[in-house]
Amino acid sequence: MSTSNDIIGKCRKNIRQRLPRPCLSDIDATVYTDPLEEFIIQATAAGCRIVKDRKKEDLDSIIKECYPDAKVIASALPEVKSATVNPDNIKKAQDLNGTDVGVIEGKFGVAENGAIWFPQEVKERAVDFISENIVALIDEDEIVSNMHQAYQKVTFNDYGYGVFIAGPSKTADIAQVLVMGAQAARSMTIVLLKS
Amino acid sequence: MSTSHSKLAKKFLENQQYADWHDSTFWGLRVKRDKMAAAVPEWEQLREKASQIKRHTLTNLDIYLQKFADAAEKNGVEVHWAKDAEEFNEIVYGILKDNNAKKMVKSKSMLTEECDMNPYLEARGIEVVETDLGERILQLAHQRPSHIVVPATHLTHDDVGELFEKELNTKKGDHDPTYLTYEARLSLRDEFLTADAGMTGANFGIAETGDIVVCTNEGNADMSTSVPDLQIAAIGLEKIIPDYECLAVFVRLLARSATGQPSTTYTSHFRKARPGAKKMHIVIVDNGRSEWLADEDHWETLKCMRCGACMNSCPVYRWSGGYSYSFFIPGPLGINLGMLHDPKKYSGNVSACTLCLGCQNVCPVKINLGEQIYKWRQTLDGLGVANPEKKMICKAMDYVFDNKSVYNTATSCAHIVNNLPSFMVNNGLNPWAYAHKMMKFPKKPFHKDMED
Amino acid sequence: MKVGLFIPCYVDAVFPKVGDACYRLLRHLGVDVTYPQGQTCCGQPMANAGFAKDSATLAKRYDDMFKGFDYVVAPSVSCTAFIRLQYPHILKDANHKCHIADNTLDMVEFLHDVLKVDSRLGKFPHKVSLHNSCHGVRELNLSSPGELMEPRFNKIKDLLQLVDGIEVVMPERADECCGFGGMFSIEELAVSKQMGEKKLARHMATGAEYITGADCSCLMHMAGIAAKQQTKPEIEFRHVIEILAEGL
Repeated sequence: MSTSNDIIGKCRKNIRQRLPRPCLSDIDATVYTDPLEEFIIQATAAGCRIVKDRKKEDLDSIIKECYPDAKVIASALPEVKSATVNPDNIKKAQDLNGTDVGVIEGKFGVAENGAIWFPQEVKERAVDFISENIVALIDEDEIVSNMHQAYQKVTFNDYGYGVFIAGPSKTADIAQVLVMGAQAARSMTIVLLKS
Repeated sequence: MSTSHSKLAKKFLENQQYADWHDSTFWGLRVKRDKMAAAVPEWEQLREKASQIKRHTLTNLDIYLQKFADAAEKNGVEVHWAKDAEEFNEIVYGILKDNNAKKMVKSKSMLTEECDMNPYLEARGIEVVETDLGERILQLAHQRPSHIVVPATHLTHDDVGELFEKELNTKKGDHDPTYLTYEARLSLRDEFLTADAGMTGANFGIAETGDIVVCTNEGNADMSTSVPDLQIAAIGLEKIIPDYECLAVFVRLLARSATGQPSTTYTSHFRKARPGAKKMHIVIVDNGRSEWLADEDHWETLKCMRCGACMNSCPVYRWSGGYSYSFFIPGPLGINLGMLHDPKKYSGNVSACTLCLGCQNVCPVKINLGEQIYKWRQTLDGLGVANPEKKMICKAMDYVFDNKSVYNTATSCAHIVNNLPSFMVNNGLNPWAYAHKMMKFPKKPFHKDMED
Repeated sequence: MKVGLFIPCYVDAVFPKVGDACYRLLRHLGVDVTYPQGQTCCGQPMANAGFAKDSATLAKRYDDMFKGFDYVVAPSVSCTAFIRLQYPHILKDANHKCHIADNTLDMVEFLHDVLKVDSRLGKFPHKVSLHNSCHGVRELNLSSPGELMEPRFNKIKDLLQLVDGIEVVMPERADECCGFGGMFSIEELAVSKQMGEKKLARHMATGAEYITGADCSCLMHMAGIAAKQQTKPEIEFRHVIEILAEGL
């Protein structure tokens, strides 16, 4: 088998000239005067339902209101009293299959695309994807305008995984018809927490 | 005077209703891309920065590859190096065998297509399940992708409906895309739950942190890697970029260019194996790429981030379909990549370009795709694959144009053609007559007028 | 200012009226224009087909013929673009100093950017669908390509507005190729025909009586298809310079 030296050496030999790294700090990135407003527009366009002006204490009633038939609710958040499964202490990821609602908390949102940053914080991150529906919490003050700001703000912990999620799983692979709920969550409700 | 592409394109166009649908479907993606790009005032600046970052990274690739591998190893990831497709397949098989994995779910990876990985693994008893819906459809239909981002879009919902009736036991006659997608979801869910390994490709590798970044809409890369115990990522060495500051530029361009979305639904960043899972593996693949760095005319093709915008924008692609190209990647990108991989084998695609150059303007990393096709054409004669008739025509033109008196006689006599009976002009021997009525030549060419 | 008029081979043979219109218009505008005899082809057809090396003698001939002029102007965007962008490479490979590539302009560029014509021209009381030729759009910047997110402009349209009575309309997908592509139209017969038919149909859908543009080859392609299909209503083709010179 080849080694790093073989392949890196080949690259070194074939590089014809070294070009400098461009300056990126001068990008005139769009900044919104009201990032929250744009975030709501984009997240809605990405297929999310938005619940505004709420507190963490309201979570159980929001879940009931949005997903009245949900039986299996997975969350590691202490405020979710109605949780039936905790993704932090189940044995294996497969055990999360059949989850009706996964409740997860994001760190911040991005206005330009309606995405939310979720670093892994529980043992089985599958909860973010395997659940039929996702309820995502986000502090309404924690919205940045664009991905440049977002990547300055991302943090990782020892789990070594993070994901931006913009709405429910979707596909247009059959005849370019947009369908929500391909392999991961079929719906996503964003709860904007008032500080 | 036909090429491999032109022959298949002609066949493609026999079904005009289907061709119209194909054109408008892919033009639709171009329109969505235009709308998204127009909504970003700094769009052209982003494209320029993206191009410069790629030019910088590629011309310092030795340094960044080392940095990437070091960072990944520090994260506890095992890094493998494959010089070609064969080594890649052997490495992947080796990892699966060592971990006693019999079934692998995988998200979409053009690199594994390039290396023909699935048949290799299947021949050795590994069950490979594609989990991107488009790729899954193709796997069940035993077809190859016709596009790099929307690989099964050449199939209609009826095609997929009939396939699923047979393969997934769906309701007879129900070809509703929502229903079919749901049935595929149920079937794939079982695969995720029972797989021993999960594989992804990589949209980006981050040198500074050793992260693999994967963008999907379906969430299948995450399902593939958050449930099974073993994770493998396959990455072409040109996909390495320096850091997150650079990543922001690409992530802003990628989905907007590809499907006209502001971002993909999932942008996933993999740094380590899951707690309790087996060791994570990254396989870095060369397969010719390091050689291309030395090619003055064509190295910039390595900037590509596989968004597919050049295909959607290319009228020749839209009117001939992915399967008219002999290389597994079609369109302007595929013409160029095919020539880089094996110019003799794939020269039949070089005709599939009017040199309209639209592809270069939609390319988010500003690859000069059309100009490169022009340059490839100049090499065909040297490779011994130039069309002899075309060569003869060019030599004849050269003779006429180089000789003033011959040219003057020819242009002055051209009007004689007007008086020939139509069957002698508008026939199968005159290729111009295939689409056109022969033009009327005036009695006097312009230069005669000026002389008089 | 001495200006040389280059009339490419197929314009010379098939569209002498276009050459005539160029000459008349330039004279009307007071330009010291000369048409040197002995012109043939710029070499583009061979180069685009993959035989750029064979174009070297033609490039030398062109360069020698026109090197004394301040500008060379031509009514053909793809020939102009080829001369401007490829001659420096072709002549370098042939060890011939290249004099005139940068000063070779399409007629539209010359009128719009050098002469900056803003006086009223003739009269053409017709509805005209404007054909943007690829090399005009993407190599000579005669108009802003629809793919680029830049301020919109169209120099051909600007010039046509100087003609009385004209109504200029754009087809849908204004910057999409008509499928001519030189040797492409011979080598990729089916796709070339398909693209030409679709482009023609979009021009026709505007309800225009004429299709105009800055490149005779695109017009020749679409006109040949229109004639073969016997499209109704009949639509006519005019090079943009013919319209600008109408009645002068």
